[in-house]
Amino acid sequence: MMTTYLEFIQQNEERDGVRFSWNLWPSSRLEATRMVVPLACLLTPLKERLDLPPVQYEPVFCSRPTCKAALNPLCQVDYQAKLWACNFCFQRNQFPPAYAGISEVNQPAELMPQFSTIEYVVQRGPQAPLIFLYVVDTCLEEDDLQALKESLQMSLSLLPPEALVGLITFGRMVQVHELSCEGISKSYVFRGTKDLTAKQIQDMLGLSKPAMPMQQARPAQPQAHPFVSSSFLQPVHKIDMTLTDLLGELQRDPWPVTQGKRPLRSTGVALSIAVGLLEGTFPNTGARIMLFTGGPPTQGPGMVVGDELKVPIRSWHDIEKDNARFMKKATKHYETLAHRTASNGHCIDIYACALDQTGLLEMKCCTNLTGGHMVMGDSFNTSLFKQTFQRIFSKDFNGDFRMAFGATLEVKTSRELKVAGAIGPCVSLNVKGPCVSENELGVGGTSQWKICSLDPTSTLGIYFEVINQHNAPIPQGSRGAIQFVTQYQHSSTQKRIRVTTIARNWADVQSQLQLIEAAFDQEAAAVLMARLGVFRAESEEGPDVLRWLDRQLIRLCQKFGQYTKEDPTSFRLSDAFSLYPQFMFHLRRSPFLQVFNNSPDESSYYRHHFARQDLTQSLIMIQPILYSYSFHGPPEPVLLDSSSILADRILLMDTFFQIVIYLGETISQWQKAGYQNMPQYENFKHLLQAPLDDAQEILQARFPMPRYVHTEHGGSQARFLLSKVNPSQTHNNLYAWGQETGAPILTDDVSLQVFMDHLKKLAVSSAS
Amino acid sequence: MPAWEVVRLQTAAVKDLPASSAPSPRAGRESRVAAPEVTYCPAGVAEVEMAELYVKPGNKERGWNDPPQFSYGLQTQTGGPKRTPLTKRVAAPQDGSPRVATSETSGPPPMGPPPPSSKAPRLPPVGSCPASSVEPMDFPVIESEALIEDVLRPLEQALEDCRGHTRKQVCDDISRRLALLQEQWAGGKLSTPVKKRMALLVQELSSHQWDAADDIHRSLMVDHVTEVSQWMVGVKRLIAEKRSLSSEEETNEEKSEGAAEDQTILGFQEAL
Repeated sequence: MMTTYLEFIQQNEERDGVRFSWNLWPSSRLEATRMVVPLACLLTPLKERLDLPPVQYEPVFCSRPTCKAALNPLCQVDYQAKLWACNFCFQRNQFPPAYAGISEVNQPAELMPQFSTIEYVVQRGPQAPLIFLYVVDTCLEEDDLQALKESLQMSLSLLPPEALVGLITFGRMVQVHELSCEGISKSYVFRGTKDLTAKQIQDMLGLSKPAMPMQQARPAQPQAHPFVSSSFLQPVHKIDMTLTDLLGELQRDPWPVTQGKRPLRSTGVALSIAVGLLEGTFPNTGARIMLFTGGPPTQGPGMVVGDELKVPIRSWHDIEKDNARFMKKATKHYETLAHRTASNGHCIDIYACALDQTGLLEMKCCTNLTGGHMVMGDSFNTSLFKQTFQRIFSKDFNGDFRMAFGATLEVKTSRELKVAGAIGPCVSLNVKGPCVSENELGVGGTSQWKICSLDPTSTLGIYFEVINQHNAPIPQGSRGAIQFVTQYQHSSTQKRIRVTTIARNWADVQSQLQLIEAAFDQEAAAVLMARLGVFRAESEEGPDVLRWLDRQLIRLCQKFGQYTKEDPTSFRLSDAFSLYPQFMFHLRRSPFLQVFNNSPDESSYYRHHFARQDLTQSLIMIQPILYSYSFHGPPEPVLLDSSSILADRILLMDTFFQIVIYLGETISQWQKAGYQNMPQYENFKHLLQAPLDDAQEILQARFPMPRYVHTEHGGSQARFLLSKVNPSQTHNNLYAWGQETGAPILTDDVSLQVFMDHLKKLAVSSAS
Repeated sequence: MPAWEVVRLQTAAVKDLPASSAPSPRAGRESRVAAPEVTYCPAGVAEVEMAELYVKPGNKERGWNDPPQFSYGLQTQTGGPKRTPLTKRVAAPQDGSPRVATSETSGPPPMGPPPPSSKAPRLPPVGSCPASSVEPMDFPVIESEALIEDVLRPLEQALEDCRGHTRKQVCDDISRRLALLQEQWAGGKLSTPVKKRMALLVQELSSHQWDAADDIHRSLMVDHVTEVSQWMVGVKRLIAEKRSLSSEEETNEEKSEGAAEDQTILGFQEAL
């Protein structure tokens, strides 16, 4: 049973980009709530499917106005009468004329079971070019500015030639650069202290509305270009030479910065102008605003710290003491911009490279609500930034860019279910409907979300509610269904629609509990619960979130553990649940829920990535992967535990944000003695090389580029490993072990053993 | 013919692909490598072979724990032997206590020599990825240093071809950048890899392999941006202009062959 479910889960993820917490669904609301982990899924809407070329026609939708589900393999078809019954609302629909020739043996793809996920190309509508608007901070050190200029010049070679590109630079002032092929550069200069409305910006830049007013009843010209052409956004292939020169000539912000001051940086106004420029020229077409900044905004709307260096930027401590002067106002400024950007269908990326904080906490909504990227590095002159930036423009196996724009995700459910919300790089479209739950989990109250920018790994958590009443049994053998309809602009500028329709069996919890248990996907469940926890952590106090997670875990163990009341030693969990408590243990310690030792910017950065990665990557973030290399056999996964730190092993740890290679004490001594250089110890050389090669493979695929730590026993950077492993041996209990194995960790943190002991006690107690 | 019928032909083909039954996540990946009709790399074969494959260390001075930097060739390299991803976990025993694993060489002092190669069990085949151990490569095809005139002359010739077709100002702009290239080359400011790859680029350009030439230009921009950024954009533009000129010439030839038909179509369009 177990293997079958593992295979089933894997197949579904491969085919439909979906992982459900439960793969058999409890048949009533009451029973569903008793299962603790909600019925939910991780959905990767544009999961790369090499075996799925898009079909060149449009989907057929159910004619009921409140339904409009797409025709799918679960629909019943009457081939004689050329009718199909919607599996969501049971409406009977006539096939369109083009389907006159269908029969049992002549089916369109969307009716075939293997096309539970299908992608359509929409031929209608004007094709809009992709747009990249660079917003560049010039208050950088010379070395950093030079590196950034080169990366931007390089990017012109990676962009699609037809893409439009624009340039805004800022320091104390904000400059919007006109791009012409004539070699005369002209720019519009704005003060960085005053916010301007979209209208003002558009007037000042001379962007007038298109000449055709909104005349009623006049059909739109099919080929009319609805966009305002502008000299600020020009095709790459026309102005690449001009722009290369313009970038090459960029100077550091000329305004003098006196001792003890920060440079005046008008990030808030620069972003506002970028948003206004695109709003006025290319609404509702794929566009990226790419902000490159080397420090915090220090003046005008959106400033997060003053220019006096003696006043440091806010810390968690300041925030807790309500002592972060600019935070609320700045956050509001960026939230307004983020919402405008999202409603225009554009996205904002932030590339922040500086040693100190840059205000990601205040600006995070810009990336989180629009699906933009957030990248945090120390300097633009690092491989971390350069390669991460290059990977934005990476291509898939068809030679298409791995980026999509302006998506709307619509969720439809069968009657026994409603959708409670979504967590991911999206905003609500506030579309009410029959399948919208009154209870919200994440961003709820809607059946549609907008994802302004996404790539093949962007993943949303979608939460559902079973609403079937306990006394209204669902017929045996019937199935519940969910449909995801994602409309988006492909990087080739085509409009596309991807439809995924899935179904799962209902099960009666009373009589089929074991079956339901076996269909539990603990990995998906851990990530889905973690997303809920992190979502809460954005608005609630940290300890409250931890308590909530703990309570859920205890309830889950009470429900699904096997035990004798009041006897903790009798407690057992079945295989389907065996990893779940340890995921929760590591999640509690993770930087997504613990802010200690992290700056507010770092917390924002970690949470940003956690809320969008797919299951595999999310799970690595929750519980890092640890592999051990030795002379005793092939590399093997080992417990993320201090007992795995052994003298004659090399460890490779992947935390998503860091790749750590750690040489055990003996290995490190052998290396220092130079054995790897002696021909008779070639094996040792290979042993040293093996984890490096594996690390490289991870580095080549990861976005964003992780930090890379190579350290050894006693090395100062060994702390990255020591802070992640379960402290099963600490200075407190070391001697109780009696033998020296593993590495004791100097911590008072609770270990997994202690955690499990408490968990069992609470789970078996009749009091709780 | 109804739209969906046309499509059926395509979807039928899809059904035959092994991955449609998707037995394992690896299967899809392998089928990518096996299917020859899919072009993974827009460049020609020569370029793939010639790609610079190297990893250089990150900038430790400016970023703590800066990761290594992969060359364009490695970044765009697809397929190839991929090892099983390291994503496995071990479940902790349910009592949460770790297995007591002991080090083979426990107890101080731990030093003795590592097991020598002959006696030690053979290491598992890790580290077999071609990306891993490749050092900056020399290019066997071009043994000697590329010559400045061998690179510049064809470029200048290409530019001459474009005059008349391309706006004068653009031609002048390209010309200015070619001069800059010449100046830097002559002044000894260009490294050997850049010169060699420029020689390759020119070869591809001369044989009308636009995609390959363009890809070499991209690899130079990614791997050697500091050296080439000022003038490379001129070469990039030249490739684009030459390509559009040559496709225009081809259409003209086709047009002159079927001139009569064209005229009617033209008339038809005008009527619209």
